[in-house]
Amino acid sequence: MGKFFEWLDRNFRIKKPHRRFLYRSIPEGVNYFFCLGGIAFALFILLFISGMMLAIYYVPSENEAFASILRIDNEVRFGWFIRSFHKWSANLFIVAIVLHTIRVFVYKAYRHPRELNWIAGSLILILAFASGFTGYLLPWDQKAYWATEVGTTMARTVPLLGPYLCYFLRGGQDVTGATLIRFYVIHVLYIPLFMCLLLWAHFHLVKHQGVKGGL
Amino acid sequence: MKKICNLFSFIGLCIMAGVYLLFAFPSRMRKKKDLYVFACDEAELPVQGVRQYYIDYPLRGRTVTKKFFIVNTGKELLVFSSVCTHLGCLINWHRTENRFMCPCHGGQYDNQGNVVAGPPPAPLNRLPLKIERQKVYIGLRV
Amino acid sequence: MNRQKDFYPDYLIEILLVIFLIVELIVTLALLYPPAIGRQIDFSTPFSPRPEWYFLWLYQLIRYFPGSRIVIGTTVIPLTAVLVLILIPFIDKGKLGRLKVVIVGVLLLLSIVILTSIAVLIP
Repeated sequence: MGKFFEWLDRNFRIKKPHRRFLYRSIPEGVNYFFCLGGIAFALFILLFISGMMLAIYYVPSENEAFASILRIDNEVRFGWFIRSFHKWSANLFIVAIVLHTIRVFVYKAYRHPRELNWIAGSLILILAFASGFTGYLLPWDQKAYWATEVGTTMARTVPLLGPYLCYFLRGGQDVTGATLIRFYVIHVLYIPLFMCLLLWAHFHLVKHQGVKGGL
Repeated sequence: MKKICNLFSFIGLCIMAGVYLLFAFPSRMRKKKDLYVFACDEAELPVQGVRQYYIDYPLRGRTVTKKFFIVNTGKELLVFSSVCTHLGCLINWHRTENRFMCPCHGGQYDNQGNVVAGPPPAPLNRLPLKIERQKVYIGLRV
Repeated sequence: MNRQKDFYPDYLIEILLVIFLIVELIVTLALLYPPAIGRQIDFSTPFSPRPEWYFLWLYQLIRYFPGSRIVIGTTVIPLTAVLVLILIPFIDKGKLGRLKVVIVGVLLLLSIVILTSIAVLIP
């Protein structure tokens, strides 16, 4: 096994450029609050995996979405557990990101030269919120429908751009199957994609700038 | 040379963004048409006060049921859509308080559809009403 | 401590252990409290949707801006909050930077916490 990985790395060369990252020393004053970012990342991966599982059975269509949720809960082997897991990970993901933001704020880790990383982190936070909003519609039940109706009507009140924004989000004048597909694609494709890009940027910057320790 | 390269990439990105927006923005929809749907017989109209009606009508190839209110103020008949003008929730009629109330953000309307309390920016939508051969029809835009 | 701690494996093992505990927590919560199945969409039954808990502050906020002033609740305040969040490193400049940033940050967090708790306590 070890030999296989050695062979792989000889060709791929991923270990060498990350040697400084892996074997760097950790600054003084690091405590368990510094785990929050790692926890958030782990939760993102858990969300990704459980989302990949749910996407196999979920049907993003006006007529079948609700039925497919029922099928996941009742027929699919421990489908209810995966759905529950996805939901709970999503909640804890938000908690972890917010706490991580507070931790960075308290430790002044946003200061020069880490401004850009703070901005990348804030964008990740916003994307997480957007993911929560779009994911709320997917069960296509009463709560989902009316929450989206209210949410998209709120978008309409934005001055100048509002009506276009609302029209764009809904894919038409009302919340319909077109909205469901839009939200589905945003939830499973656009947001994870941009989230991965931003996370890569986030870690890239951490790698170069190191962890800021101590108060 | 470098400048041309950058300019090219920039223009390419702009074109992609533009095409994406044009593509993703919903295309022009069909115009909304006025449609009169059957609500009830004339005899079922409220003599005084407010009554709610569940009306089936075709929408995008399916039948949907929506709720409407017909108010008889003593002088005239008013038809209201049940959609709150604030953020699109559905309102209820509360007989004891003589008010239409929205459960979402607490908007309240009197029986003429005017806002009496809460956040709604406009009175309830009034719909046209037509009576033909003792049958009542409500004008909708679908 | 004599030896400096390295990221790998000293620190990574701690992170992995914490993550393991978190996964246990999620599994427990997921087993104990599965999400309820909602009712099928009905266009004629009034329904008061409550957003997820992390949007409750916004839900509570728009209640305070009736009529056409709703723009403040849906656009002005959320947009300002987001901009302030993003621009925090640039507010923290100069001598009193940290003080300014602490005031802004605490105000932002406090107002969100207060709005959320109002929405939770008074349905």
